[in-house]
This record gives sequence, C-alpha cells and structure tokens, in this order.
Amino acid sequence: MAAPVLIAVEHVSKRYQTRSGAVDALADVSLAVDEGAFFTLIGPSGCGKSTLLAMIGGLAAPDAGRVLVAGAPVTRPDPTRVATVFQDPGLFPWRTALENVEFGLELRGMARGERRRIATELLGPLGLRPFAEKYPRELSGGMRQRVAIARALALDTKIVLMDEPFGALDEQTRVLMGEWLLEIWRRTRKTVIFVTHSLQEAVALSTRVAVMTARPGRIKMVLDLPYEYPRAIEAPEIVALRAKLWGEIREESLRAIAEST
Amino acid sequence: MTIALARAAIVAALVIGWEIAARFVSPLLAAPPSVVLPALAGVLTLEAFPDLPRHLLVTAREIAIAYALAVSAGLTSGFALGLYRTLGRAYGPILAALYAVPAVVWYPSLMLFFGLDSASKIAFGFLLGFFPITLAVLAGIRQVSGHLLTVARAFGAGPLTTFVKVMIPAMLFTLAGGLRTGLALTVVGVIVGEILGSRAGIGSLINHAYGLFRTADYIALVIVTLLLVVASDAVASLVEHRARRWSE
Amino acid sequence: MTARVRALQVVSIAAVLVVWEVVARAGWVDAAFVPAPSAVARALAAVGPAALAGLGDTLLKTAVAYVIAVVLGVGLGILVGSVRLLRDVLNPFVIAAYGIPKILVLPWIIMLTGFGTTPAVLYGTLHATFPIMLLVMGGVRDVDRTLITVARAYGAGAWQLYWKVILPAVVPSVLAGMRLGIVFCLLGVLVVEMFAGVRGMGYVMGALANGFKAPELFAATALVSAASIAIVLALDWLNDRLSHWR
Repeated sequence: MAAPVLIAVEHVSKRYQTRSGAVDALADVSLAVDEGAFFTLIGPSGCGKSTLLAMIGGLAAPDAGRVLVAGAPVTRPDPTRVATVFQDPGLFPWRTALENVEFGLELRGMARGERRRIATELLGPLGLRPFAEKYPRELSGGMRQRVAIARALALDTKIVLMDEPFGALDEQTRVLMGEWLLEIWRRTRKTVIFVTHSLQEAVALSTRVAVMTARPGRIKMVLDLPYEYPRAIEAPEIVALRAKLWGEIREESLRAIAEST
Repeated sequence: MTIALARAAIVAALVIGWEIAARFVSPLLAAPPSVVLPALAGVLTLEAFPDLPRHLLVTAREIAIAYALAVSAGLTSGFALGLYRTLGRAYGPILAALYAVPAVVWYPSLMLFFGLDSASKIAFGFLLGFFPITLAVLAGIRQVSGHLLTVARAFGAGPLTTFVKVMIPAMLFTLAGGLRTGLALTVVGVIVGEILGSRAGIGSLINHAYGLFRTADYIALVIVTLLLVVASDAVASLVEHRARRWSE
Repeated sequence: MTARVRALQVVSIAAVLVVWEVVARAGWVDAAFVPAPSAVARALAAVGPAALAGLGDTLLKTAVAYVIAVVLGVGLGILVGSVRLLRDVLNPFVIAAYGIPKILVLPWIIMLTGFGTTPAVLYGTLHATFPIMLLVMGGVRDVDRTLITVARAYGAGAWQLYWKVILPAVVPSVLAGMRLGIVFCLLGVLVVEMFAGVRGMGYVMGALANGFKAPELFAATALVSAASIAIVLALDWLNDRLSHWR
C-alpha cells in the first residue's frame, strides 16, 4: 500500500543577489516525500539543501514553483504541522532544558501546568530527565541538540525537518545520536526530512535518499532504501548502496570545489 | 589573602599619610582624619547641618526624577533606533556626535532656561543618564543572536512575541549594565549641577561649607555624598548581576 | 538606501529648525529663553571673537592637561597592567578613582591652587587619567597569551617582549583610551572654568547665562559643540588610520 505524499516540492527555484551578481541556489527542484518516511537530502556544500529545507519549513520563499504540505501551499512557518531542528541547537540560554522544551507549547497559549506535564513526559523516553533543570551552558553539544530535538518534538507535528542536526558533533557522538534519533522516529512514526552531507548517516537512517547536484542545486538521483533497521554495514546490498551514493556525491563535490575556486 | 592584606595596607598608608601631611598645612586647606572623623559625626548627628535631611531629600528627589526621565527616554529612543533600521541609520550617527560633546556644555543653557532650582539639575541629570541607556539598548539589540530569532520564527512566534520572549531576555544583561551606568551618570549630573550653583541639595551644602572655609565639615559632607553614591551603585550592581543569570 | 537615510537626516534637522524659528517668532516661547535660530546665527557673528578667544583658551588648557593625562594614564596603565600583583591589588582603587564624581574634590582643589590656569589643567588631568589608565590596563591584561608564549618560544627577552609583542598589541586600547580621554579632559577644564570663573569658554558661557543673553549663549554652545565633535572625529580618523591592520 503506497503511503500518501505528505510534502510535495514542485519545480522550485531560488536565486540570490550577491555583490558579484546573481547566484542560482536551486534550479527546478521537485520532490515527493511520503508520510512516515525518513527522507534524506544529501549533497555537496553550497548545493542549496538548507535553502530547500528552509522553504519547506516556511522560513524562505521560492522564486518559482511551490511547496505543498498536506496539499496546502507553504507561505510561512506552521508549527502545527512542521517542526524544525537546526545545526546550531539555538537553545535559549536563559531557560532551563525543560523550559526550552516548553517553548513551543507556551507560544500556543497552553496553560503552565499542562505544558510542564507534557514537556516532562517527553524528557523521559529521550533520556533527558536528569537534565531538566540544567541550563544550556551546563550541557554538552550532544545534550543540547537532544534538548533542541525534544523542543521540536513537543510540538507534536507530523513533520520534522532537520538541517544537519549532528553536523557540529564529533564522529562517535554523531553515530550514537543517529541511533537515538532512529529509535524516536520508529516509535513516533513522524515524517522526517533530514539534511546531511554524511554518507554514513544517510545510509544508516533513511528510507529514501535524494542526491543533489552542486550549485545550482537539482535533484540528481532518488534512491529507495527498503532495508531493515538497524542497518548492517557489512551487508552486500548496503555496501553496494554506499559505493553508488559515494560515486554520485563525489562527482558533485568535485564540481562544487572546482566552482568555488 | 595577600591581596586583601596589600589593599588594606595601602588604605592604611593613605590614611596615615593624610593625617601626617594635613598637619603640615593650614587647617583651612586640609583637615586630617583625626579632625574629619569628629566632623563626620557632627554631620551625621545633624549637629553641624540641622537641615541636612532636607537637602538630601532635595538631591534624592532630583536624582529620582532625572533617572526616571532618562530611563523612559533612553529605552524609547534606544528601541526606536535599534528596531527600525532606517531610523537607526539616520539618527544613530547624530546621537553619537552629540555624545562626543562634553555634557557640561549644555549646562549654562539649562541654567538660563530653568534657573537655579531643581529643574536645571533634573534636566542635566537626565541628559547625562540618557545617552548610556540609549547606547546600551542599541548594543544589546545588536548582540542578540540572529539564530535565536530564526528559531523563534520557526516556532511560529510573531514579532511582538519574539520581542518579549526572545529579544528582551537575550539583551537583559547589557541593558542592566546600561541602566547601571545611566544611574551613576545621572547622580553625577545632579551633583555637578548642584555644585555649579544651587539653592538646595547636598551640592549646595558642600558649596556652603567650602565657602565658609569649614574644611573638616566640607570633607565630611563629601564622604557622606560618596557613601550615598556608592550605595546607589551597589544596588544597581545587584540588579545587574541578577540580570546576568538570565542572559548567559 | 543611504540616500534615503541622508534625506531623512537633512529633512528632520531642517524641519526642527523651521518649527523652532516659527515658534520663536510667533512668540509661543519666551525669546529670552529660547531664541530663534536666526537670532542665534546673528549672535554668532556678534559674540564670535570673544567666544573664539575663550575657546582657544580652553583648548590650550585642554591640550596641556590631555598630554599629561595620556602620558600618566598610558604609562601607569602599562606599568600596573603588566605586573600581575600590582594589577590585582590596585584594580579596585583605580576603578574607585574613576567612578567617584570628581566634582566633589573640585572645591578643595580651588582652595589649594586658587583660581587660574592651574586648577583647570589639574582637574582636566584628574578627570582623564583614570579612564585612560583603566582602558590600557584592560588592554595589557587581554594581550593574547598565545602571542607571548610564541614570542618566548622564539627566545624573546623581557625588553623585546615589551617592545615587539605587548606594546603593539596594546595600541588599540591606548587609542581607545586617548579617544575617551579627550572628552573627559575638555569636560574637566570647562567645569573648572564654569565653577571658578576661570578665563575660558566655560567662563564665557557662564557669564552669558548669568546675563540672560540667550542667543549668544546658544551660539557659543553650538561653537564649542562643533569644536568638540571635530576633535573627536579627527581622533577617530587617526584611530582608523593607525588600526588598519586589524
């Protein structure tokens, strides 16, 4: 049974004006993300994947084309439908972890007692209970990102966008965070759009991967990953998949480097 | 530990030096601590200046009004210039230029307009306190992380909500610092105004003592004024430190 | 965008002047207290010579006080700032000296030195020395530890360390202190002139205020403000020229 298309990107283009002239960030990008998918966007630096994510989240507008979420065009951030997690956790330093998680609920006008309850309940399964009263400056990078993800999950949206959330973390922490995220995703059955340039993450986490070209960004290839979790790194099909993805990405990365020099 | 000891030693040396040096000059020019202390007692018990409380009240009132005006005007102009880019670009440089003028330049005009009474002191105190507060608001707004504002937007916060829930907490510490500096400068402004010419207030009392060559009393009054200045700054500093917890 | 900003500035200043002129002429404010801009402009010509003479006097005193304050402030700042013990012990004293309203000791200074140039220069120096010293102390303290370690690793002796690493790194704070100091200096000199009737711009302005000569006073105020802004702008320009490596 085919899952319904929850997010549709239709022929989206974006152009930026810089001092040295116009730069095409995205050129005619089209995508379809199914409900319940873990959809990864991967590509070289500067390919526009963050811009694309921002457009899905309503934080930026396309110059051409449109983005549809549940059939409705996206014009502004909609915290009832879409939650976003950034590479920089962006926790509010004057709020404790718990108060940070409550932020979205506070904006909704939820009563104090209730939002405290919901936020506290959320922390448990995420392993954050002991850190509830801590301030961001007392937390490690990985911890902060977990709190940021909890804050996004508190909105209880169907869709969660993640822009290189583990990009600032070291390799080991990254892998562990990936496992942690996978566990949450499988439990909550949300639709995740994940931006990364880590091949390891793409292969370990996604149900579908879209490879983007160097600037101006286009969709080069979309691959389905119908493999079981947790992904067995040595399994032949996984190895073949990695090689294939790497081949495509490598080509685009070289092109991106050439263009920037 | 040694540091505290060294500081105490320096203070002691200064006091002793003062005591010795003052004995070598005419009592009109300098009063040693041994003479100043009883004079201080005389001042504090209201023997020397029975209407000291009235004068202190006048000064306190001038400071309070001047500061209230400085804070309201400072916050308003600071946020207006900081949040509306065109306004900020247009009037920011003008403000900076005015700040380069030593404030006492405005005082004769204020005196001409307001006379010798409290109004000119209030106006002067206001002028002195206004600038650091406005500048602190501008600096505070500038240092708010743009990313935090983006996060708020991603969560659907409108401009007012973002301002109240993100911008204000993020700039609270800088703002508190500016309010503290503003208070210190308002206090200085009022005192300077009084000393430059007034009929009431602690400054006028200081002038009175100095005019009558009551040197010990003059020094005692200066000490009393200093204590009040330090006390008001201590309060402001406490508020600033509480604000630090918020912004970090 | 800059054109729009420029326009806004020009239009608002012009509007203020026009409204002010109209209000003064219509008699809605007492011309004795708030003279019309045109009256101020005329008065500028009348009081010009006397005001300029006074300004020159003030600036001369300020220059002397400034040189002394800079030498003292920078010298002491570097000295106290580089010796860890001195810095730790003396820091609160310097901060206190900076924070105390020095106007309180002005009557005593007048008592000691009488009226004339000495108290003006003395007070101006007093006013400016401590802020400069504090800034320079901070600058020395903040000299990047890494730079010193690298220099030491290359075998730099104490004298070379000072000359080649610390002093160049301290230059920004020194320049910042100098820029701050000039306003403090000028302020100190003007205060003494106003308070003690010492010859100079402060005295001129005080006399004009006492004589209720509003247009002349406004003109003099504008003159000294312009001079002050010009000096600070000049220092800023100098600052930029000397700091281009940053």
